[in-house]
Amino acid sequence: MPTFKLNGQEIPFEQGDTIIRAAWKAGIEIPHYCWHPGLSIAANCRMCLVHIKSGRQMAMPILKYDEKKKKYVPDTKPKLQPACQLHAQEDMEVDSVSEVVKEAQSHVQEFLLLNHPVDCPICDQAGECKLQDYYLEHQADFKRKRTEPVHKPKGVRFGPTIVYDAERCIMCTRCIRVCDELVGDPVLDMRERGNRNEIVLAPGRELDHDYTLMTEHVCPVGALTSKDFRFKARVWFLKSAPGVCTGCATGCNTHVDFDPRYGKVYRLRPRDNADVNQFWMCDQGMLTYQATHERRVTTPVIGRGEDAEKVLMDDVHDEVVARLEKVERGSLAVMLSAQQASEDNFVLATLAKALGTDRFYLGEKPVGDWTGDDILKHADPNPNRAGALGVAESVLGLASLPGAAQLAQDVESGAVKSVLALGPFAGADVSALEHLEDVIVLTDGEGPLADVASVLVPITSWAEMFGTFRNAKGMDQSFVRAVPAAADVEPAWKTLVAIGRELGEDLGLARTGEVRAAMGTGASTAAESAAPAPAE
Amino acid sequence: MPATTKVIRKPKRKLTEQTYVTEISKGLSLTMSRFFKNAFGPEDKKEIATVMYPEEQREYPERFRGIHRLTQRAGGEPRCVACLCCSTACPAQCIHIEPAEYAEDDARYGYERFPAVFVIDELRCIFCGYCVEACPVDAIRMDTGLHMPPSTARDHFLYDKETLLSLPSRDGTYESGNPRHEPGDPTHPGIDRLQGH
Repeated sequence: MPTFKLNGQEIPFEQGDTIIRAAWKAGIEIPHYCWHPGLSIAANCRMCLVHIKSGRQMAMPILKYDEKKKKYVPDTKPKLQPACQLHAQEDMEVDSVSEVVKEAQSHVQEFLLLNHPVDCPICDQAGECKLQDYYLEHQADFKRKRTEPVHKPKGVRFGPTIVYDAERCIMCTRCIRVCDELVGDPVLDMRERGNRNEIVLAPGRELDHDYTLMTEHVCPVGALTSKDFRFKARVWFLKSAPGVCTGCATGCNTHVDFDPRYGKVYRLRPRDNADVNQFWMCDQGMLTYQATHERRVTTPVIGRGEDAEKVLMDDVHDEVVARLEKVERGSLAVMLSAQQASEDNFVLATLAKALGTDRFYLGEKPVGDWTGDDILKHADPNPNRAGALGVAESVLGLASLPGAAQLAQDVESGAVKSVLALGPFAGADVSALEHLEDVIVLTDGEGPLADVASVLVPITSWAEMFGTFRNAKGMDQSFVRAVPAAADVEPAWKTLVAIGRELGEDLGLARTGEVRAAMGTGASTAAESAAPAPAE
Repeated sequence: MPATTKVIRKPKRKLTEQTYVTEISKGLSLTMSRFFKNAFGPEDKKEIATVMYPEEQREYPERFRGIHRLTQRAGGEPRCVACLCCSTACPAQCIHIEPAEYAEDDARYGYERFPAVFVIDELRCIFCGYCVEACPVDAIRMDTGLHMPPSTARDHFLYDKETLLSLPSRDGTYESGNPRHEPGDPTHPGIDRLQGH
């Protein structure tokens, strides 16, 4: 691979790489605002200016203040070039830390902050703002301008999800390029020029495509803020855990940002993965974190309707054991879930097989108003259908599993007399199950299966456990626990192992690693032992 | 290095000191004279260092850090913009704030936010004053001159936004010395955006 020299260090590059991209691949950051590895090159922020020391030197005539003569005298200084636009060439010598470059960075930084309102205390970007970071790293002096900054519109509603503050904007055009290049919906553009310019919507439009939150995500400053996260938390309180989106079968990699003081997830951010989601996520996926706090099932319930009784976790374990002991094993239906982790499905299938039933079904989230697209969104809104089917094949030897419609039919025909299911979604009308005496449902959230359950066992959601999803491409992607679960609530597989032990079927599994070893899937993008990474 | 010693001799006692009797009577005479002066003497000659707390109270020093108060704007709303700088600086983590946004037709929309909930757990507070230092808008102060009144219930020590706003400073004002520039004032920096561009 050809190399070039950056500050004396050999950097390998592929043909066509720009200097900044080659450095980025090598883990070296050249300061930049407008360049984004997933977007086209704009070269308008001028922060990444570097000095190309090899080849023909270009010099700029300048006037320099001479201390001795007490006047400005003609001088020259090297002309700098943007590292984001300049292609790397063999044996090129690039300097990004010399005094000339540092001076340029400092001046660009001062220029970008010329009309900035500096309202960091009430800005949501504070703490992860590039203007703040680079001010400390690269700006040598305070700004010299003493006049009133130019004022522009603030709090402009761009659409149902995004609010725009033109005063904070540095016109890097990343949001415009996201709309143009990622989504193919050129709804944003820039108007005016100089210190008057601002981002505007196309006439008659609002920012309402499926990737609006990506415009906020790429914004290096606080100009675009998401209504969902706006004013909810300060980012320096948040910690981050690697997760996998549960929105669809694509399985986008996420950073799960949570506040450890409250044990609450505040947002998801895309985690770069070139094989799955590159740098992006869709709006619906970004908001899937809400399911970890809303419409949750945290209290065990025995009975239905008016007879429903809230009980303690120990009591519901005993109840499940008692009911599974007395049910006729041949007519016990077991429902795996395309919404739950492979570990949960594996232990459920293994336990059911040991109990001696051979009626297996697959519960899934119905498509509803979900639509796929060619960018990221998969047509299947279940994150782990491939994982559940993989478990069915490896543990049960079944190539496919019948759905909830078949289960309802079998209940009507009398072939199924009791159900043990992983919730919360079924995939079809399961109201027929209401007439069965024993419908044991393990679920983290409310849903059709929870509605018909006669014994409801709460389990942890994905944010509260270590687990694995297999996406539509067949990649096993593991995720890490972010927040603690409600008291006594355990992952489904742990609950099932405990129940199995009391039924006389000791599976001998106590840790996630043991379940994964038993499953025989090792591949993962985030090791279980990985400590939660700090927010970027 | 060799150890160097310095010899300190015992002070010599005089005979009057050695016998103790005269020294004791000297001391007792001072005690008794002060006792009779303070118990039966004229009021203006009394020399008493203590006060009859709690009936009598000393005035606290000028920079005494008392219970917090939230300073008010001219209209009575809090100056606080719910930036959470105080709760970030707080080493005791006793400040809980939930920010909220002004309505879109409000002049402050886009410029500021306000605290929907602002609670200080005064039991947890260590009265270090970092919150006052951290505040960028002079919204929180500890100049009430009050210390915590005792109570038997823990929730009496959770001071909410209304309570904190209702406490005056020691000179009786609810505002702060620093002027505010509200949207609409000629001094407000956002004024010229209304002139259009």
